[in-house]
Amino acid sequence: MSIIQQHTQATLSDAWRTINIDALTEDSSVNFDVSTLHPPLPEISEADARAINGQVRQLLRGGDAEGALRGCLEMPVYNGSEAAKETHLHTVIEVLQSIKASEMTPMLQRIFAQQGGSECLDVLMKYLYKGMAATSAAADSSGRATPARAMTPQATGGFSQVGQRPMAANESTGSAMSVLLSWHEKVVEVAGLGCIGRTMTDFRRV
Amino acid sequence: MAAPEVHHLFHRPIADHSFSADRQTLAIARDTQVELYGRVGNAFKLKDELKGHDKLVTSVDIAPNTGRIVTCSQDRNALVWEPSPTGYKPTLVLLRISRAATFVRWSPSEAKFAVGSGDRVIAICYFEEENDWWVSKHLKKPIRSTITSVAWHPNSVLLAAGSTDAHARVFSAFIKGTDQRPEPSPWGERLPFNTVCGEFLNNSAGWVHAVAFSPSGDALAFAAHDSSVTVVYPSAPEQPPKAVISINTQLLPFMSLFWNGETEIIAAGYDCEAFRFQGGEQGWQLAGTLEKVKAGRPGLGGEDREESALNMFRQMDLKGKVTKDDTQLKTVHQNTVTMLRPFEESGGRVTKFSSSGVDGRVVIWHT
Repeated sequence: MSIIQQHTQATLSDAWRTINIDALTEDSSVNFDVSTLHPPLPEISEADARAINGQVRQLLRGGDAEGALRGCLEMPVYNGSEAAKETHLHTVIEVLQSIKASEMTPMLQRIFAQQGGSECLDVLMKYLYKGMAATSAAADSSGRATPARAMTPQATGGFSQVGQRPMAANESTGSAMSVLLSWHEKVVEVAGLGCIGRTMTDFRRV
Repeated sequence: MAAPEVHHLFHRPIADHSFSADRQTLAIARDTQVELYGRVGNAFKLKDELKGHDKLVTSVDIAPNTGRIVTCSQDRNALVWEPSPTGYKPTLVLLRISRAATFVRWSPSEAKFAVGSGDRVIAICYFEEENDWWVSKHLKKPIRSTITSVAWHPNSVLLAAGSTDAHARVFSAFIKGTDQRPEPSPWGERLPFNTVCGEFLNNSAGWVHAVAFSPSGDALAFAAHDSSVTVVYPSAPEQPPKAVISINTQLLPFMSLFWNGETEIIAAGYDCEAFRFQGGEQGWQLAGTLEKVKAGRPGLGGEDREESALNMFRQMDLKGKVTKDDTQLKTVHQNTVTMLRPFEESGGRVTKFSSSGVDGRVVIWHT
C-alpha cells in the first residue's frame, strides 16, 4: 500500500515534465538542422541590395512608383547579411513613403491581379512587419537614451510621462509607423488574412 | 442546391467523425471516448459509447465493408473495435510509438490501416493471423516531425502523409502477405515497404494539415498552414512531377480537403466554411464558397429575426440601442471545420459530403 502511494506521489509531481526528452532522442528535431528541410535560397550581398536601391530610386524619380514597388518586392533579401537586409528594408520603406494614400489600394489591386502578384504582396507584408519591428525598436532605444528619462525617478510609481513623450527624434519613426500601418490595412484588404498567415508561417525571413 | 443538414450534437470540439457504409451510424471522437450516433428520423441519437482510451481521441475511422472501427488517441494507442452481437469489442494494436497518435485511416482494402504520430513515424498496422493480433511496421525515413494526416491511394499500397515539417510525402506501405503487388503507376513501379515515391513542399513551407489522392490516384493535393492548396501531378517514377500547382488564397488555412472527381477539390478549415477549387494540370483556382449567401440556415435563422421591427424595438428597450447580433458567425459552422468526408457518391462525383467542427456540429452538404 505504502509503496503504491509513494509511487503515486512520484508520478503526481510534474518534475519529469521539465526533462527535455527531445534532447535524448537522437534523430529528434532539436538534434537536427531544420534548415536542411528547405531548398537553399540565393544569397544577396549588400552591394546587390544597394544596386537594387539605385534602380528603384531611378524608377521613383521617373515617376513609376508601381514599377519601383514591384521591383523591390520581386527581389527580397531572404539570404544575406544583416546589412543587406537592412538596406533592402530601407529601399522598400522609401518606396512606400513616396506613394500617396489614394494610390495605395488601386496599385495593390493591380499588382495582385498580375502573375505572381499574391507572392509580391506576401513579401510586402513581411517588410511591413519588419519595418514595424525596426521603427518600434528605434523608438524604444531613442526613448531610453534621452537624459530626461534617465534622470526621472522611477520610484514615483506612475507613468513617467517625461520619457514617454514623443521626442523630436521620435517624430520620424512615428510617421514611418503610421505609413506602415495604413499600408498594412490596405494589403489585408486586397490579399486577405491568408497573407498574414503566410508571413507568419514562411521559413523565408526578410 | 438544397439546404445543408445540420446536426448540433453537443458543445464540445469534434476531432473526427466517420459514417458507416449505410450512413445510419455516425462515430464521433469526443474527448477521451468515441460516441456512436444512430439515425432516428432526421436526427442522430446517441446509442453507444466506446470507452477504452484514457487521453483525447484524435481520430476515428469506420471500415465500410467489415464495419470495424479503428480509433487512435494521445495515449499512444490505437484500438480496433470489432462489431459483435453484444456490442463492440476493442483490440489493442501494438503501435510501438512513444508520442501521441494523431491520425488513423483504413486502407481501401480494409486489411490494414495507417496511424500517424508525433513520434515521427507512421505505423502501418495489419492483422497477424498466427498470433491473433494487430501488429505494425514503421514508416520512419525521412519524416522529421509530427504526422498531421494520412491518406490512402486507391491501390491500398501507396500512402500520402502530411507533416509539420512542411512536407507532403508519398510512401509505399506494401506489406508482404497482406497486399497484392500493385500495378505500376506514375508514383513508382517496384514498391518495397518505405519507398519514398515523392516529397513535396510548397513555396512558403507551412505545416501540412491535410492530404488527399485524387480518385484515380494520379494526383495528390495537400493543404498547408500558409492558406494554400497544392496539387501535384507526378510524371514517372524517380522523375520530377509534371506539374506542381499552388493556390495561395486570401483565406485562413484549410484543415481538411477531398477530391470531387479529378477536376474539383473541396476544402474547409479556419474560415468555418467549405470552399470549392476547380482546375486541372494547367492550373487551379478558387471557385467560391459552398455556403449559401442568404437564407436556408436551419438551426440558426437569426438573420430574419434580426431585421424585424419588433426585434429592433425590443433591443432598444433592453439595451437602449440597436445592436447587431455579432456573436454568431454567418456560416453554418460556428467554429473551425476540422474534418470533411465524402458522404454520398454517384457516377464518380461526390454529391453529398459531411463536415465536423470545433463547434460540435456535423453538417451534411450538397456539392
